[in-house]
Amino acid sequence: MEPKRMDKADFVTSLFLSSLGLTVFVLSIRMPTFKELGANPYSAPGIVPAVLGIILFILGIVLLLRSISRKGYYIKVSFNGIISLFRRKSIRRLIIALFLSIAYVQLLGKMNYFLLNSFYILIFILAYELDFRQNIIKQKKKIIIALSEAFLIAGSIALVFQYIFLVRLP
Amino acid sequence: MLQGLSELAIQLTQFLTPRYIFDILWSTQLGIIVGMLPGLTATMGVALMTTLTYKFATDHAVLILICMYVGAIFGGSRTAILINIPGTPANAATTVDGNPLSKQGRAGEAMGIATTGSFLGSLFGMTMLAVFTPLLGNAALNFLSFEFFWLTIFGIIICGSLTAPKDPLKGWISGFFGLFVAMIGMEGMHAYRRFSFGNVDLAGGIELLPAMIGVFGFSEILMVMKQPAIKIVSNKIEKVIPYPREVLKYWGTIIRSGFIGTAIGAIPGVGEDIGAWVSYDFAKKTSKHPEEYGNGSIEGLMAAETGNNAAVAGAIIPVLSLAIPGSAPAAVLLGAMLIHGIRPGPLLMIENPEFVYQVVAMVLLATCAMFILGLLLIKAFVKILLIPRQRLMPVIFSLCIIGAYALSSRIFDIWIMAVFGIIGYGMKEMDYPVAPAVLGIILGDLLDQNLRRSLILSKGQIIPLFTRPISFFLVLLIFFTIVSRMRWFKLLWESVITKVKK
Repeated sequence: MEPKRMDKADFVTSLFLSSLGLTVFVLSIRMPTFKELGANPYSAPGIVPAVLGIILFILGIVLLLRSISRKGYYIKVSFNGIISLFRRKSIRRLIIALFLSIAYVQLLGKMNYFLLNSFYILIFILAYELDFRQNIIKQKKKIIIALSEAFLIAGSIALVFQYIFLVRLP
Repeated sequence: MLQGLSELAIQLTQFLTPRYIFDILWSTQLGIIVGMLPGLTATMGVALMTTLTYKFATDHAVLILICMYVGAIFGGSRTAILINIPGTPANAATTVDGNPLSKQGRAGEAMGIATTGSFLGSLFGMTMLAVFTPLLGNAALNFLSFEFFWLTIFGIIICGSLTAPKDPLKGWISGFFGLFVAMIGMEGMHAYRRFSFGNVDLAGGIELLPAMIGVFGFSEILMVMKQPAIKIVSNKIEKVIPYPREVLKYWGTIIRSGFIGTAIGAIPGVGEDIGAWVSYDFAKKTSKHPEEYGNGSIEGLMAAETGNNAAVAGAIIPVLSLAIPGSAPAAVLLGAMLIHGIRPGPLLMIENPEFVYQVVAMVLLATCAMFILGLLLIKAFVKILLIPRQRLMPVIFSLCIIGAYALSSRIFDIWIMAVFGIIGYGMKEMDYPVAPAVLGIILGDLLDQNLRRSLILSKGQIIPLFTRPISFFLVLLIFFTIVSRMRWFKLLWESVITKVKK
């Protein structure tokens, strides 16, 4: 990331970190001490998280001050800027991978593992290999190869892990 | 010493059966393949194998993991040399001289030197492991909760400093964030559920392995897919096996890099990549031909590969003696040992001393397997690099899913893997090192228990935390590690050095 953008990112993350540290501290001091049960007060569950909360807060503030000194607070968000961000090929590649993977996780346990895994591998390969500007039917060779690979790989994974490593599959 | 050698010989002979040899060979080769492929790291390979070998016998499982670890750290040198992309971060220093050698048509020679350097570095580290583990374990018997508390803080601070040399503040933030993540769930003294907000799954805490697989696996998949595709041109590989005289010429570099790699590997959470870079830097500074570095220096390549593989055994030293990992893969190894009922730490040499020599024997066998496979099968397995990433990454993600799920059979763990993958990706984009966060997750429980115990023992007094001799030494180390990264201290130090020189 370029230094100027990093300073802006640091400004935003420092706000998050300081808030997190403060929240952790407040939640920790509210935790019970179990004194009424005769427990040693220094064994209270909130002691260590409270210390960590303070440390995170301090580190967040240091990062905030540093980003302010580097003018990281000057953040300009525009609709055109967001559109141009999503037009970048790298961001589109990232979003495709992220979306497909999260969708896969979401469907786990809700359908047959072998089928789900096969579809995931198939769609992943096609999302990056198919040229959607051209006729998809003309690219049927790619689709058939991807389909065969997806079923073969998904089948192999299921067999190897279930019957050789004796691992339960989702 | 003789007793140690005889114990090592006994453990070694136990592993020389066809079944064990078969497992050593396939797991080392799988490690080499994992190391070779960008998108797969040694940590991920060891993490996945941990869950898959869960049902194996302890010695079998640990042997496979060590072979995977040793193989993966070495395997990354293949891609570092051939396509200038380190297969694992540990091989970043290898690209500097390895790839120029490949471009000069000396790819085979480079890989032979890298293999030999890795072999010698690993052997050196293994020797240090055998010597120093019992010594450090005995010294750690004097540690009380005060010392263990400061040791965990020191681990976070030094890991943060060394993994983010340009911006240690981010390294420390990463480490303390990891410590906070370890606080989530049921704590060990009163079984109180911290930060679970009524969620039953969160009350069980964040499991280490799914978080590690997410941070090192899923985040890497996202990073690889974001980058444009790399066009791999297959290089002709000819002479691979180096002549002994070519290697012996650099005996000084090998020994120095072995020492440096082992020492760096033993520092909590730092890892093989720093071991390689520091070995490389020292070799360059002391070389008679520093101008060759960066242009295909055999000595530079040898230093980098010796350093990173020596760090593997170095990272296992604190695992066995202190139950504190020296690197991310070593952290997974520690987790695996705990899963299989081994209790690493100061008491290991008393309760289970033969395990230490078992591990030394395992490292030795993995090293020999790496050397043989590395020299013989280079040409065959380099073809794996031609697999397009859009076909490889979904398979890796499927393995991440299985790895996260296999241990506890919870879909929640898969979500943990996914969430930490996204967090890990975000951290990498914003230059936060992920290793300190993972170390924080591992050391969080140790920190929690020991700080509270210390306060109970001292009845709330903070002074004993600073006044015990070992604690005081650790506090000074922490102080100087932090202060040495501050600009005013660097300026002050430079002015003092200048005045002394005058």
